[in-house]
Amino acid sequence: MAADLRRGRLGPLGWTGLVVGALIMLAPLVWTLLLSLKNNADLVGHSEAALHGPYTLRNYGTILGNSLTLRWLLNSAIVALGQTAGVLILASLAGYGFSRLDFPFRRPLFVFILIGLAIPSQAVILVQHQLFAWLHLHNSYPGLILPGLVGPFGVFFMTTYMRGIPRELDEAAMLDGASRWTIFWKIILPLTLPAQSTLAVFTFLGAWNDYWWPLISATHANMYTLTVGLAAAQMNYAQTSGLGYLMAQAVFASIPILIVYIIFQKQIVRAMAGTAVR
Amino acid sequence: MKRAFAALLIALVLGSCAKSDRKTHLYLQRFFGECGAEYGGSVDVSKAEGECGIITAMVNRFNAENPDIQIDVNVVAWPGYPQLTAQVAARDPPDLVTMHEGVISDYASKGLVEPVDNYLRAAEISPADFTEAARQGVTMYGHVYALPWDTHGGLFHVNTALFAKAGLMRGGKPVLPNSADELLQQARQFEKRTGKPYLIQSNVGDPAFAARNLYTYMMAQGAVLFPDAKHLKLNTPIGNAVANYFRRINFEKLGTQNMDTPAAIAAFVNGEGGIYPTGTWMIGSFEQEAQTPGRPLYKSYAVFPYPRLWGQRVEYVSGHSWVVPARKRTPQQRAAIARFFKFVAEHNYDWTRTGHIPAFKAVLADPRFNALPHRADIAPLASMGRPLPAYVLRQNAIEGIVGEEAAAAFTGQKSVPQALAVAEQRVDQLLATVE
Repeated sequence: MAADLRRGRLGPLGWTGLVVGALIMLAPLVWTLLLSLKNNADLVGHSEAALHGPYTLRNYGTILGNSLTLRWLLNSAIVALGQTAGVLILASLAGYGFSRLDFPFRRPLFVFILIGLAIPSQAVILVQHQLFAWLHLHNSYPGLILPGLVGPFGVFFMTTYMRGIPRELDEAAMLDGASRWTIFWKIILPLTLPAQSTLAVFTFLGAWNDYWWPLISATHANMYTLTVGLAAAQMNYAQTSGLGYLMAQAVFASIPILIVYIIFQKQIVRAMAGTAVR
Repeated sequence: MKRAFAALLIALVLGSCAKSDRKTHLYLQRFFGECGAEYGGSVDVSKAEGECGIITAMVNRFNAENPDIQIDVNVVAWPGYPQLTAQVAARDPPDLVTMHEGVISDYASKGLVEPVDNYLRAAEISPADFTEAARQGVTMYGHVYALPWDTHGGLFHVNTALFAKAGLMRGGKPVLPNSADELLQQARQFEKRTGKPYLIQSNVGDPAFAARNLYTYMMAQGAVLFPDAKHLKLNTPIGNAVANYFRRINFEKLGTQNMDTPAAIAAFVNGEGGIYPTGTWMIGSFEQEAQTPGRPLYKSYAVFPYPRLWGQRVEYVSGHSWVVPARKRTPQQRAAIARFFKFVAEHNYDWTRTGHIPAFKAVLADPRFNALPHRADIAPLASMGRPLPAYVLRQNAIEGIVGEEAAAAFTGQKSVPQALAVAEQRVDQLLATVE
């Protein structure tokens, strides 16, 4: 099948496998959507009620009826876009420095950053929280965005990618009198666009879905991100009897991600394939 | 693009500017969800339904009746303690917080919540007004640390249609057992006549279910679960007897198997078993089913506290309460808190429409409360309810551990002595790390 795929052809077996796989992947999504379109009372007894009408948009109305939902959506967008932009800028600059420049302690510094990959965020959360409290940054956009900018993965990723770009390009530009900044900005950076888009997608998804840091940093409702806000809006113990509303929340929260996926699907697929090959 | 970005920035800045007023502001933090779409503008507490609706309408009403005070509400994801702890660590805690009574000691032991004795005095509320279960739940270290708001615990929710089929109704009321042997006998009779299990159980992913059963029936036999603040005692003859009893119910298939909470709720609603032992908070949903023609529970629902199976009629309970985190406050804010306490105490009846048991004796005796469906039947919970001792910290985490191990014992995944010993060991380890 791998060979067929390489040739761009699929036999009946391959098609069957793909269709079955797609159905398995789609089933929980469709199930979630159907549940979100049902009254909670209909689902208390039988969740199979989702398979037939009547359907309603009431659960979505309840979400949008909350005056803060759009604010949470905006907060999530600002935080996710802010983090994505910040990570791209910092990782590109750091990647260029580590891949192209000679400076004291370059290797130990790079190793030091790589060690960051092995440290789980939970291990530093107390200190991080205290630091942000000391800086009076909780319940603010900088407070939500800044921790996400510390991304060893981004630095590693961009450094590795830039190392693959021939140095001859830099040398030719230098011969033409280009400065370091010009080389970075006009020659290297455009060549890293595929890596930038991959990193952007991963960073955006991570920031959008983040729950823990916003939960403890944004403690005022008007600063919640969508993940925290929707969780706070759940009405009963463990949402045991409001399944439709819960599923509507899940669908609502995933719509922006779906849009990002539709726009950037080529980059995402390329990123996944690249990760698999590496 | 640049213009749009600038406009967005300006809108954000303007939106972040709070209008100044001369009101005393209190910052109230609660769980129970967000229902602004339905109750955002409602001040008629009597017409509000459910925990979220009632609390939302109550706060709206307080703001309307007290024009010099503004309560700003922050709704947090249940149970809200990670956020509260983070706020305390950042020295920015709210003024009023909903808290489960079992959690108060975690904060009170470190001075993170204020004793509320002075607020109660100012609000002309005496701790003697509280029910016994509520008073025990909020009293520790010689002070009252919260305004109790309700008592909640396990109840036997009964499908009376199936009970009638099983021949277990007398005078229109279900016959509940009065001993462990009697329960087994009735369960076998029920299973034989209806073909359905007597008990609906949520032993999967619901540690509170198993912990509640174990705690309750050990307490009923006079077991001291926590001889001191650092040790749990479960692996005793009493603990083994209770755990073996629930194991037997499972082995004889007298209870449903492999169900989590939503599955157990669905099973009860669909008439797939006789009794679902779960909390006070489900009364509203089940009563709604009981009033809907065509549903299996239609006119077939009754509810009672856990029956006495051994020893005393005692039941493990908890409760919701209002605490005041420690921070600097103006005299006006302190007066406003006292006024809020008085207001919510006066509206304790409204809260009992959620299914929870009142925290005030006066409401227990209120004809309006007793006229609510099933409330006269469940009212004894206020006197038979027993919280864990206040000197036990981390009660939420402990319930999780005990429930997990107890469920493993009940369902046969571990031997009873092994599960109880592991629970003791894990809890003791946890408590050893608590300062």
